[in-house]
Amino acid sequence: MDIRPLTPYDLPGIQNTNITNLPENYFLKYYLYHYASWPSLSFLAVDVATNKTVGYVLAKMEEEPSDGIPHGHITSLSVMRTHRRLGLAEKLMRQSQKAMVEAWGAKYVSLHVRVSNTAALRLYRDTLGFDVEKVEEKYYADGEDAYSMRRDLSFLIEPEEEEEEAEGKKKKKKAKKTKKEGDEQEEDVDIDGDEPEKLKTKEEGKLKTYKLGRQLGVSDLQEVDGRA
Amino acid sequence: MPTSQPLAHKDASLFKQVLKAYETKQYKKGLKTCEQILKKNPNHGETMAMKGLIINALGRTEEAFAIAKDAVKQDMRSHVVWHVYGLLYRSEKMYDKAIGAYKMALRFEPESAQILRDLALLQIQMRDYHGYIETRKTIMQQRPQLRQNWTALAIGHHLVGDYANAEKVLSKFEDTIQGNVHKWDFEHWETCLYKNRIIGESGDTERALEHLNSIAKNTLDKTALYETRAEYLLKLGRMEEAQKAYQLLLDRNPERRAYYAGLEKAMGIDPSNRKAAKPIYDEYAEKYERCDAARRIPLDFLEGDDFKAAADSYLRAKLNKGVPSTFANIKALYADPAKREIIFSLVNSYNEEQEKEEPAETNGDGPKASQFRIWTLYFLAQHYDHYRTRDMTKALEYLEKAIKLAPKTLELYMTEARVYKHAGDLQTAMEKMDTARKLDKSDRYINTKTAKYQLRNDRNDDAIATMGLFTRNDVNPNPLTDLIEMQCIWYLTESAESHFRQKQLGLTLKRYATLLKIFDDWAEDQFDFHSFSLRKGQIRAYVDMLKWEDSLRSHPFYTRAALGAIEAYIYLFDHPTTSGEPELDKLSEADRKKYLKKQKRDETKAKEAAAAKAAKEKEERNKNASASDDTVKKEDTDPLGVELAKTKTPLEEAKKWLDPLVKMSGDTNARVQLIAIEVERRRQKWLLALKALKKAKEIDPQAEGIWEATVRLRKDVSALPTDAPSLSTDSRTLFEEELLPLLAPTADLAALTTDYENTHSGSPAHLREAARVRKVLGLEGFEDALMKSVKVEKAGWKDGVEAVRVAREVGVEERKVKEVAGGRWGRVAAFK
Repeated sequence: MDIRPLTPYDLPGIQNTNITNLPENYFLKYYLYHYASWPSLSFLAVDVATNKTVGYVLAKMEEEPSDGIPHGHITSLSVMRTHRRLGLAEKLMRQSQKAMVEAWGAKYVSLHVRVSNTAALRLYRDTLGFDVEKVEEKYYADGEDAYSMRRDLSFLIEPEEEEEEAEGKKKKKKAKKTKKEGDEQEEDVDIDGDEPEKLKTKEEGKLKTYKLGRQLGVSDLQEVDGRA
Repeated sequence: MPTSQPLAHKDASLFKQVLKAYETKQYKKGLKTCEQILKKNPNHGETMAMKGLIINALGRTEEAFAIAKDAVKQDMRSHVVWHVYGLLYRSEKMYDKAIGAYKMALRFEPESAQILRDLALLQIQMRDYHGYIETRKTIMQQRPQLRQNWTALAIGHHLVGDYANAEKVLSKFEDTIQGNVHKWDFEHWETCLYKNRIIGESGDTERALEHLNSIAKNTLDKTALYETRAEYLLKLGRMEEAQKAYQLLLDRNPERRAYYAGLEKAMGIDPSNRKAAKPIYDEYAEKYERCDAARRIPLDFLEGDDFKAAADSYLRAKLNKGVPSTFANIKALYADPAKREIIFSLVNSYNEEQEKEEPAETNGDGPKASQFRIWTLYFLAQHYDHYRTRDMTKALEYLEKAIKLAPKTLELYMTEARVYKHAGDLQTAMEKMDTARKLDKSDRYINTKTAKYQLRNDRNDDAIATMGLFTRNDVNPNPLTDLIEMQCIWYLTESAESHFRQKQLGLTLKRYATLLKIFDDWAEDQFDFHSFSLRKGQIRAYVDMLKWEDSLRSHPFYTRAALGAIEAYIYLFDHPTTSGEPELDKLSEADRKKYLKKQKRDETKAKEAAAAKAAKEKEERNKNASASDDTVKKEDTDPLGVELAKTKTPLEEAKKWLDPLVKMSGDTNARVQLIAIEVERRRQKWLLALKALKKAKEIDPQAEGIWEATVRLRKDVSALPTDAPSLSTDSRTLFEEELLPLLAPTADLAALTTDYENTHSGSPAHLREAARVRKVLGLEGFEDALMKSVKVEKAGWKDGVEAVRVAREVGVEERKVKEVAGGRWGRVAAFK
């Protein structure tokens, strides 16, 4: 197994892993949009023998956080059933969260999970340290509710330090600490992905098109960002 | 205003309304307003142009172009008219023409920022880097205060390899903001990294490292920073520092293979004797309790007892934890017979130990079986399912044992299905997979596998129904539509291959056409990012995206689809038909009628579904009247591909797949060149065919198919009248001096074929090839060669299936092949 940052060459493989494992799917442009906007936040796990993608985390920064606090969001995370119990989900998440803090100043990370997906809920809560923030009613297209979960990332924020020689011991301790949290749970589940269409208008009721995922792509984002 | 047709005040304000309506996609309203203006000013070019633009958005492209052409005639000097003309071409993806129209528009309005920006988008899309640089220069001079205008210009220079100018442009802007940079100014720090990459690529590693260090403190993308630094240090031979750099990276991500490779290099480990690297891995294995890479990598280079000890602890740990992928993780080591033997004997000994401890009959009352027990049995089953060590009976035995102990473990049934698949029993394989699926209906992975196995068994209706359990049926009542929208490559490819096996050419070509369009869409996807990425400021990602787009069709997904599609078109060429279904000709009258009736029914059904979908979408649109969007989607008028299969030019259709395939994979994949020969031979393009042959021989002189291609080409070419190929002098020289000798023009083909057969006497594919060649040359022995191809040790059931196909082709009784194949692979339905 090899865990590495996303490159555009990996996008078709990630899309394939997603539609193999999860009911929430997106066309390639949506993955490309993540890559083009936050290239350092997404990671994948590759089976080195076959060179196939067996897991990925697709992540972003919340563009206009309603609470004004910069934070990351996990759009989708999944691991092939054949490659579970290797701790891949946790390893992928850790890389992504670290990048959220370092490159984007994220204070916490959020995600959605189906209320019926108890296995994923357990993984997020017991292994990955997430807490349930609230229930979002009818978040999914089929009418199911979602838990909105979040994890505080301050444990990853390092004091202003010279990275130079500081590697070694300090980080080792930290690694140990988080290791305990994880322990033997491991992922045993599909994990979960964001509802593709749900990111529409809702938030502030403003008249802005913010449909992502299915029908639309980046062209509609331009309206949000305004012209240069 | 350059327009020669100024409007009266009231009409001018109406014209503004038209622009607004177009931008907000209120096309009907816009069209009405156009008509209002045109009533008073029937020849007003700019209004006509806008009308054309709106009509195009409503899906009436031809009409739109006619109007736009008229508009140009009416007002040749209006930039609006030319701009619209450009937009129409752009929407039809005729980018060259669009560029021409924009340039005309700029002649009349050279300062228009909008047109300049649009032109730049097209130039970068078309990879007209020099044009892009010029346009970007103008834009930058217009608004030098905007950073992205400088960055875009630098990108242009960078992409033509002009590193010096690229760097200069970036530095110039940096100079203007000295010292005024915020810690979280993403754009700035990213542009610094981009500049560093340019310096690095220019080859001046020393200076690149220096620059990198100067920006290190504030760089936000730490992973990129540390990776780049490590690479520079390694390049510069500063090994001690490089070691530290890679250690730092490994502490951040101990699962990254490239970091270990870098560290090995920095420590001067000899790649042919990596034993000395073991302590590196021990260190990380100890430091990171749950790290897999540090434990797995040494298995690649350790030997003998060292290997045995390491493998033992690796396997025990994984099996104890119940990791289903344990076998997958070590499978690559099976290429080495000694390692294969050690691994097997280890796991086998675990099993024996446990069997001793276990009472003979548990009857299910005993203590729950341990993870270790179950996954050891699972591992052994996979061992016996592996192609080098296959023994179906044993594999099933171990699975059965494991299932008794853990009847709810899905993986066991999945592997059972796989074992049957490998034995060619596609029906049982499919059923077993479905059993597994029913154990966890909420798991899409197992659902996906079931559909795949159904397709392998040519149960297309079942497969789509299975897929439908997870597709978004609220959006698309037809699961296939959802799969197409979500660009589900694997399904479309497997479906195409299944239809082709059944010689349903229409559906085969339909799936391939859908796949071709997905790749086109992916290429098209980049368009929006030409502006988006500049705004976002993620420049390295943008440049990487451009490079990826240029090699999009080098992806194995494309290669597989292209080879399949081309094969189908070749088949269509060789089996011309008017019905669009070559197999129909072979059916009895009654069966043919039955088939046609079913086809008609399917077609009606598919069309109804498409119409229902369109209606539903329209209804949706009307519901959201406030955000009224009059965009129309074009309806699919040929859902079963009947029209596709009626093509008069199958080879030209094949070329659409072939050209990018050859460009992207033609240097490394002999199969690509061999299929190119098949297409070009049929197109009677001898020069191209021979060039492909030459290339194929360079890539892999032993590749199956080269000999057959040689023989067939020699036959074709020698039948030509001497003055036939109308070639230029240069081409003729190439043809005669370099290419013709490839065909062994004077050699004794019969003797060479015998040699060929002897050299490859163990290879089923080469033997089938020999059978075909013998047939082509009118030689005896084609039946022997074919029968041998089913009997040799290396043959698998798929070779049997292929042999049956070839039997039909060369005129050997299928029954004979089936008899032998059926004796060997009794579970394969095709041999019964």
